[in-house]
Amino acid sequence: MTFASLVHADESETAARQSAARAILAPESEQATIVQDMAANPSPVLGPIFEAWQRSQVYIYEAPDGARIPFLLMPADGSAAKAMRIDNGEPLVGPDGAPITVDETVMKPVETFAKLRRAMRSTMDLLALADPAPATRQSAILKLGMKQSPEALPILNARLAKEQDKAVKNGILDSIALINLASPDPQLQIDALNQLKKSNSIPSRELVAKMAADESLSPKVRAAAVSTLKAIDNHLFWVDFFGTMFRGVSLGSVLLVVALGLAITFGLMGVINMAHGEIMVVGGYATYLVQCIFGSGVALAPFGISVNLPGFGFDPNSGIYQSYFLFALPVAFLSAAAVGVLLERGVIQFLYRRPLESLLATWGVSLVMQQLFRLIFGPANAPVYSPAWLLGSFSVGDVIMNYNRVFVIIFAVAIVVGTSLLLAKTPVGLLIRAVMQDRTTAACMGVRTRKVNTLTFAFGSGLAGLAGAFLSQIGNIGPSTGQTYIVDSFMVVVVGGIGNLIGTVISALGIGTVDQILQTSLRNPVIGKVLVLVGIILFLQWKPSGLFATKGRGLEN
Amino acid sequence: MKLSQTLQAMAVGASLLVGTMAPVRAAEDTVKVGVLHSLSGTMAISETSLRDVLLFAFDEINAKGGVLGKKIEPVVVDGASNWPLFAEKAKQLLEVDKVSVVFGCWTSVSRKSVLPVFEKNNGLLFYPVQYEGEELSKNIFYTAEAVNQQAIPAVDYLLADGRKKFYLIGTDYVYPQTTNLVLLEYLLSKGVPIENIGGGLRKDEAGKVISAGKYTPFGHTDYQQIVAEIKQFAATGDACVINTINGDSNVPFFKEFAASGLTAADCPVVSMSLSEDELRSLPTKDLVGHLGCWAYFMSIDSKENAAFKKNFFDWLKTAKVQGIERTNRVTCSPMVLSYDGVYLWKAAVEKAGSFDVDKVREVLESGKITFDGPNGLNTVEKNHHTKKNTYIGETKADGQFKIVEEFKQVYPEPFLKGTFVKE
Repeated sequence: MTFASLVHADESETAARQSAARAILAPESEQATIVQDMAANPSPVLGPIFEAWQRSQVYIYEAPDGARIPFLLMPADGSAAKAMRIDNGEPLVGPDGAPITVDETVMKPVETFAKLRRAMRSTMDLLALADPAPATRQSAILKLGMKQSPEALPILNARLAKEQDKAVKNGILDSIALINLASPDPQLQIDALNQLKKSNSIPSRELVAKMAADESLSPKVRAAAVSTLKAIDNHLFWVDFFGTMFRGVSLGSVLLVVALGLAITFGLMGVINMAHGEIMVVGGYATYLVQCIFGSGVALAPFGISVNLPGFGFDPNSGIYQSYFLFALPVAFLSAAAVGVLLERGVIQFLYRRPLESLLATWGVSLVMQQLFRLIFGPANAPVYSPAWLLGSFSVGDVIMNYNRVFVIIFAVAIVVGTSLLLAKTPVGLLIRAVMQDRTTAACMGVRTRKVNTLTFAFGSGLAGLAGAFLSQIGNIGPSTGQTYIVDSFMVVVVGGIGNLIGTVISALGIGTVDQILQTSLRNPVIGKVLVLVGIILFLQWKPSGLFATKGRGLEN
Repeated sequence: MKLSQTLQAMAVGASLLVGTMAPVRAAEDTVKVGVLHSLSGTMAISETSLRDVLLFAFDEINAKGGVLGKKIEPVVVDGASNWPLFAEKAKQLLEVDKVSVVFGCWTSVSRKSVLPVFEKNNGLLFYPVQYEGEELSKNIFYTAEAVNQQAIPAVDYLLADGRKKFYLIGTDYVYPQTTNLVLLEYLLSKGVPIENIGGGLRKDEAGKVISAGKYTPFGHTDYQQIVAEIKQFAATGDACVINTINGDSNVPFFKEFAASGLTAADCPVVSMSLSEDELRSLPTKDLVGHLGCWAYFMSIDSKENAAFKKNFFDWLKTAKVQGIERTNRVTCSPMVLSYDGVYLWKAAVEKAGSFDVDKVREVLESGKITFDGPNGLNTVEKNHHTKKNTYIGETKADGQFKIVEEFKQVYPEPFLKGTFVKE
């Protein structure tokens, strides 16, 4: 719906506008009735008016001559909001012909209430049938079908003749079938059931199940209903199966992203780093800061010193603001790596031969870091918004895949491939592997082991920072977020086998999939999680060094 | 031996000193009042705000001459999100500090843990946070929303909105489990068929439903499976979600919900534990259009509320409380119900003419103690709960609620289980 169409009004539009204006000016007790009656003439001009009304952007202008003129504020695109008269769609002007400016802080909007909104919905639902967005059309069509009222049939048939989109067309056929399910004619019912069987319509399952169990129906109709129900249930089984697999791989990818850094610092270097979770959170906060800098800036008060980070002030809907996450990734990697360097130089380098003491020392560091987050960013979680391109989903044969979940799978593949290439194909990777396998010999060959240690630890920490940046898109970033993930990361690395990237990958995907399968089959996340942990304990009894045991400088030496 | 004897003597001396000094001061010009909230640990984020508003109320009352001519002297103790510690601190307030009244507790488990202490010492506790009901102690007054003042009106609103399917989800502990069982009974009594209630049912061997809905542990982060289930459940277009998830887990839940393409128009989520204070640390864009149900919203347009907000924010600027957050503050229902509690207690004390717990209770139970607060009129009923308004609001992008429905003066019913008759 464009605003140009508001300006060129034909007769039915004028009538619709005038009843809208009348409804707005009417006393509250009469508003809902007037609005309800407007569904008989669902003119497209009403869409933006009702939307503005529900958003509390409809006001009444008291003209100097005593006239009361209802107007709405058009959504502002960059400049100040423009006032538009509801009764004729013209800009609101004062007696002198100059546009009226509206101070939203002073004027009181005409409020809506539940009953009135419901009344608006009948009109909005009819308008949604012709909405430019196919998804909106489809859900409006389905809603109409689910009501099973035969009066909707002519509307749907008219729509079917005009509809271009294939998916929406099928939706209309389904909705017609849904309405015909309640028809008294058995043949129509059977045809409807066959249509729903053909399209494997999930929303119709309950109605079909009711018919399959209804003994008053003719045997033929019931038989058709039973066969449709079977087809839908079969379809649902596969949707659940592939859905669960997808979610398992996606949870596995989250675990992998979280554990990969630890696979380097713990798996390769043998450092039990209890502050791994907090290093992840550094990446999360870095993402938060980048987001703030792309927006309106942020005021922090660490240690009572007030620090104002100015922002670029990009418009939240603009492409550049939406791409903040891409800029946040390198920042998160570098800032976490920098913290890693500090940690390695400051604490861990003294403890390479004393793994248990490094456990205690890094645990202390993790507590200190949590308190620092609290002092700098406050005790509450930092609100990180997902860019629009990570929101939403697409579906393949009713299996729904969220963009952010697809993104984490790609992201996990990318960093695993990147890490293994770095380790296997580059000179730096060669040095890292040499030092990790045998530090003394490497040192004898002239490798500067101290530098390599620092570099490796920084790299592992940087990967943790990337994990934190990603986690900000699906969960919390707060002072104690790291604690939530530290157990999971150690679990993945230990099950996978210390010192082995492939083991980490397989263990992460395995744990993720098993977790999701248990959640679906038990229908209880709490017991699912318990069973996964019990399973891991039993597994480690059987294979104490994990899936793939390698001899290295790990804990077993 | 000698050393420990000396120490003992010192301890006795010290306790005598404290024991004799405190009453003398209290008798002169002050009355001691306890504040029992978690100022550290996981609950500190929510509970610190309640301490702030209580201290504000005391200062406000003291500036106008106090209660029965005595200034309020607050004794603030930290429950530290540790439930057994709550009981110890309550004991300290009642037995050592001998406070006249205590305002405090947030989680139901902390209230359950202090309840025997209050009953044994005949103390007086005002409890301000929405809870599951099924409890009535003679020593506790509940200014909080009972289930029929929050969850039931929310369900009524959704039913009137044309919602036919209800998905119940919550954190696995006493409040969500009890509330959802009550809601299950209520929905069935309203003619909602049992297959239209999502999340799953658990029955005991006799076939009695012992748990309704889906539960996740505290701090759960992976809501993929559950949201996929909701998406399928909501495919018919007439479903809604009743959310009693507590704390942090709301973020991954709502992020997953929004990312899966579900909107508030397809399937609204009404959240029982998210007030303006919690929304400060949530990505509110993902919550726009979803519903909240409380006895108070910061956006209530009334003289009392405007004055309350202005005075509270002004007070924050200069309050002499160490570490208090002075900027970007909001007000929310648990805060206002704490504030109301102080004034209801003051009104009862003044009517009784005494701080004596038995006398104050008798007056409170008379059903005549009222306070016209920021949320409208509150009346303490004989059943220790308060009659007040209930509001339903839609979340806006700025973390405020737009009020869409108001239920005027709802009578509190703490005991609901088994009371619904199928219409």
